[in-house]
Amino acid sequence: MMTAAVPKKTFFLWRHLNKLRWLSLTLVFATLLLLPALHLYQTYVAAHAYDLLAPDEQRFYDVMETLTSPFTNDPAEDLDAVKGTTWSANLFGLKLSDPLAAVGQVAAGRNLYTPFLLTALIPVLFTLVLGRFFCGWICPATFLYELNTNLAVWLRRLGLKTGNRRFDRRIKYGVLGIGLLLSIISGSVLVAGVYPPAIIGREAYYAIAQGGLGVGSVFFVGTLLFDLMVARRGFCRYVCPGGALYSLLGRFRLVRIRRVVENCNDCAKCNAVCEFALDPLHDDFGQECNNCTACIAVCPTDAMTFTLQLSDIPAQGPGHLGHQYRKQRAGDADDQPRQEVA
Amino acid sequence: MQRRRFLTRLAATAAATAAAALPYGLNRLLAPPVQAAPRTHLRPPGALADDQAFIDACIGCGLCGEVCPPRCIRFHERDGAGWLNTPYINPEEKACILCNKCMQVCPTEALTEIPREDIDMGIAQIDRTACYPWVDHGICGACVSVCPLGEKAINFALWNQYRPVVQTGCVGCGQCVEVCPHPSLPIAIVERSEGTITPHRI
Repeated sequence: MMTAAVPKKTFFLWRHLNKLRWLSLTLVFATLLLLPALHLYQTYVAAHAYDLLAPDEQRFYDVMETLTSPFTNDPAEDLDAVKGTTWSANLFGLKLSDPLAAVGQVAAGRNLYTPFLLTALIPVLFTLVLGRFFCGWICPATFLYELNTNLAVWLRRLGLKTGNRRFDRRIKYGVLGIGLLLSIISGSVLVAGVYPPAIIGREAYYAIAQGGLGVGSVFFVGTLLFDLMVARRGFCRYVCPGGALYSLLGRFRLVRIRRVVENCNDCAKCNAVCEFALDPLHDDFGQECNNCTACIAVCPTDAMTFTLQLSDIPAQGPGHLGHQYRKQRAGDADDQPRQEVA
Repeated sequence: MQRRRFLTRLAATAAATAAAALPYGLNRLLAPPVQAAPRTHLRPPGALADDQAFIDACIGCGLCGEVCPPRCIRFHERDGAGWLNTPYINPEEKACILCNKCMQVCPTEALTEIPREDIDMGIAQIDRTACYPWVDHGICGACVSVCPLGEKAINFALWNQYRPVVQTGCVGCGQCVEVCPHPSLPIAIVERSEGTITPHRI
């Protein structure tokens, strides 16, 4: 009964998942920049226009030819294998779409077009199991938003003030609902206009292959400024309609992060690092955790691990390595002889 | 006296203005409704016929543009609230080659794959008061030679081997518009309903 805190071993690889996540985010973002360039190259190839290109376009052509020649003999056809953005993509014949695109299109069109809805099936199934993982692991906007968070840290070091206000996290469900309602009324997929991953994919294509940024880039820069000046990661936390949809889908997710209470020393670094302003220290992950593993990576006592459980984990009280728990234990044990000094 | 003169002038000015505006007003009242002729904003091939249905269905993913080999599919990047991020083709800049890739890649029903003959982006219309052979300013035939659909879409008039004549098989891809050498582009893609096939046999 009066055993001292015995740290439990947690699987050592979970700590390094955050690096894998950054690799994934970087790859997705780089792909979104590469695909429009590949398309530009394909159009040059299809037009047999090398001699008509300007010198810098010829240089671009040569670079792309060098990059793709190991993988393809017929760039104009073969490079069609991977096309699209995270909003809707075509990977080796497999069509994948964002669940928000499916929901928004159903709202705007007021009909069910099964072939399109099926393209959102695989992402929905993954979300049901893994929760809001898209936001942490794939979303190209997350890549920029997390860099933006780091920029805010540097700005604070320089003595500038950055915003860290808190709002109600349920605002984004309202944004999702109102956005879908407006989609129904207007008959156009309006949620796509305020959904950063869709914006980034589109704008990257517009900027590289179509010769100019669209209006969405203005909105995106606005969200970056909002995150810097008003609330850290504020758009994802409070506004994003896609995040709201993923949160709802991931309400009863299977894969969760759990605090190992025996290892925790209440240092609260997990709360400080959490991009979504959750409360891992008090086991309050809820439906909005995106399994980004930042808290696992930052935990100095390896007190965070993965678990498979369908329901929320109830609060487990103070960590066994912390002062609070020891004081509590000392209070409980006042009438009993102390066996050991913790 | 001052006031009377002022009132007289006022009445005269009002009468003159009304008289001058009457023909314009009558003209506006009697004129047929002006239909937007989006000659430079064609929807890609296989698009839903009703443009509002197309906007409903399109999710703005940009895949059609990303697979287009001639990069003719452009997007409403900055204009049009409902049109925003929807695709269009401007045949005056770059015309569709009817390769079907956009129809195959579209995840929604906005673009559905249909046989080449059933595509309806519009129909070519030739302005016979400007086209070089039609006004006897030389020989051309660029539109006829470039047409991917051949003589069922456009061929030469029977009595003059250089004057192009659009046929009902035209699907409106716009290759002829892109290639037309005349600076004022006497050939344009119009909606099939306003095509001039029947009245002028064009």
